[in-house]
Amino acid sequence: MWTEKYRPRTLDEMVDQEEIVSRLKSFVKAKNVPHCIFAGPPGTGKTTAALCLAHDLYGENYREYIMELNASDERGINVVRETVKTFARTKPMGEVTFKILILDEADNMTEDAQQALRRTMERYSETARFILIANYSGRIIEPIQSRCAPFRFTYLSREAVIERIRYICKGENIKILDDGIEAVLEISEGDLRKTVNILQTAASLGKPINAEIVYSVVGRANPYDVREMMLTALNGDFIAARSKLKELTQKYGLTGMDIIKQIHDEIFRLNVPDKWKVKLADIAGEVDYRLIQGATDEVQLSAMLAKLVEAGYEIKRGL
Amino acid sequence: MSSGFISWIRKYKPKSLSEVVGNEEAKRKIVEWIRSWEKGAPGKRAIFIYGPPGVGKTAAVEALANDLKMEVIESDASTYRTEEAVKRFAGRASQYGSLFGMKRLIVFDELDGITGSADHGGLREITEIVKNSRVPVILIANDAYDPRFAVLRNYCLLIEFKKPSKSEVMRYLAKICAKEGINADEAALKFIAERSGGDVRSAVTDLQALAQGKTRLTYEDVAWLAPRDRKEEIFNVLRMIFYAKDASSAKTAVNMADVDLDMLFEWIYENIPYHIKNPHELANAMDMLAKSDVYRRRVKETQDWTFLRYVIDLMTAGVASSWSRKSAGWTPFKFPERIKKASISKEERMLLSEISRRIGRKCHLSSSRAVREVLPYLRVIFQSNPEMAKGIARWLDLTDEMVAYISREQ
Repeated sequence: MWTEKYRPRTLDEMVDQEEIVSRLKSFVKAKNVPHCIFAGPPGTGKTTAALCLAHDLYGENYREYIMELNASDERGINVVRETVKTFARTKPMGEVTFKILILDEADNMTEDAQQALRRTMERYSETARFILIANYSGRIIEPIQSRCAPFRFTYLSREAVIERIRYICKGENIKILDDGIEAVLEISEGDLRKTVNILQTAASLGKPINAEIVYSVVGRANPYDVREMMLTALNGDFIAARSKLKELTQKYGLTGMDIIKQIHDEIFRLNVPDKWKVKLADIAGEVDYRLIQGATDEVQLSAMLAKLVEAGYEIKRGL
Repeated sequence: MSSGFISWIRKYKPKSLSEVVGNEEAKRKIVEWIRSWEKGAPGKRAIFIYGPPGVGKTAAVEALANDLKMEVIESDASTYRTEEAVKRFAGRASQYGSLFGMKRLIVFDELDGITGSADHGGLREITEIVKNSRVPVILIANDAYDPRFAVLRNYCLLIEFKKPSKSEVMRYLAKICAKEGINADEAALKFIAERSGGDVRSAVTDLQALAQGKTRLTYEDVAWLAPRDRKEEIFNVLRMIFYAKDASSAKTAVNMADVDLDMLFEWIYENIPYHIKNPHELANAMDMLAKSDVYRRRVKETQDWTFLRYVIDLMTAGVASSWSRKSAGWTPFKFPERIKKASISKEERMLLSEISRRIGRKCHLSSSRAVREVLPYLRVIFQSNPEMAKGIARWLDLTDEMVAYISREQ
């Protein structure tokens, strides 16, 4: 996949995030890396930066010196107590005296696991350095934050993304029209992973890429997005909104948790009064909690949709 | 066990009166009456046992005879019972003791089956025998109050057999299962017992049909017996819930329903928006149902069925009371789509999670983000560009099955 094919291998290859890259380069030069937190929105190069740093530090065989864990998949305390510890406590061979543990989506770790992690970081800091990657650093407990050098990643600039699009198209020998580039930019909102995925999907049709192709492949990939479902409910059509919900869970295999997260992301982008945004966020929180407790996805999310219908009705009446 | 084809009804026929399911009061009366014969013929020389089918009337009499080592002279609907026939069959027997020195018992079973024409004069002759018998006589019928028995009834002690309770039937079934070496779920036995409606015979027959030769009987093994075409019944229940006049009548609707609660839940879930249109009321009703769902989860989690009452309260009274219950004309009830359209299967779900794990590993993503952020694009690529798809599949190390799944039109 192009996201991997065109993922930068070295810090020099990275686009944008110049401030961050130069600080990381200084770590390489000193052959010393502190514990770090890489925080920022998706598709802005956090994981890439960690991998590039390792590459530059250890050379081509850098994989032998690092361990990558995804906290969303392995978020329990046992992972920290076993996997992480085992990795962290032995000294590597070679010039650099520590290994690097990359903990992706660390903000999804449980509080317990984070507490355990804090001790591990301290105890084995001689032999292992941790890079914690997160969308929101706020979800990482204070004691860990205070042990880490913070790095704040931001959305890539428009120019940087365009440059990357052209670079890939050249490498793949495909033609892209200006309106195609605009469309990709608009949809991907500075998320480079999304940008490249859209680009590859559009290219798979084998035609020069224009705006129409971009919108059509994105439409096919996300036939009913969560936002559309919410707007349908706000417009008062509960039955249609519920059908869309079924589509998302049954055909596309999204879990209730995936959907409630997206619902929450959308709430504050809706064109509804603030009072309702807060109310809806509260309801989403309750639904989220129930889903974690094991309640039925569709039933709980439907109840949320019914609340959206109610919200839409009240807003129309100016309440 | 080698007794494969023996009916369990016969195999587990009670050998002693104490083994007969339930009806303790009736059994006690029978014993009392038979004992009274020890001091000579009592005032009522016959008892008339009556009650619905399959509750153990005949079984009780046979068990009693076995307990007391009595010789049974028995006639049932399969024999002619004309005046002449009855006289031949029981006349002498009612006057003299047994050939073998055993005490004797005369039984007229299935008395409802006596017909006026084919069994002409039979009832009158039976009455004569009952009046004068020197040995105990037992009459058995479903309905002792049939006008045909009006005279006969006067000379008999009436003993009613009632339907045993669900738990009594369950216990009996459990005993049989233990003897057959079957490990049966309580829910399965409960289902059979419920379905039988107190008819022990039909419960045992069902049990044998479902469990014979098995070592384990689960709810799934028996649930298919549920009547599939109970549309009318479920519609009535739904109507009672949606348009209940008050909270308690909405609740009682559940007791009428011979439907599984989970099934009923799906029906209610499906139908709420078609009946409850006002946005506030819709939100309330859905909220009630969602809360009922939370309790449903608690039942599962704690394995404690006491939470079931809250499930029921919220899905019935909760839904009913959340709206004004004004019918806006006739709205038909819809079949639950969640049942009709099977959701993503367990196998598919596992396949999906393995695919996302493989994507995640290669693309440095968690499984859930792989599903959300990468898989949708892969689907389009796999459907539109086999060449590119092949390369990606090889790189991700996807099996043919996974490729087929991703390439499939949704």
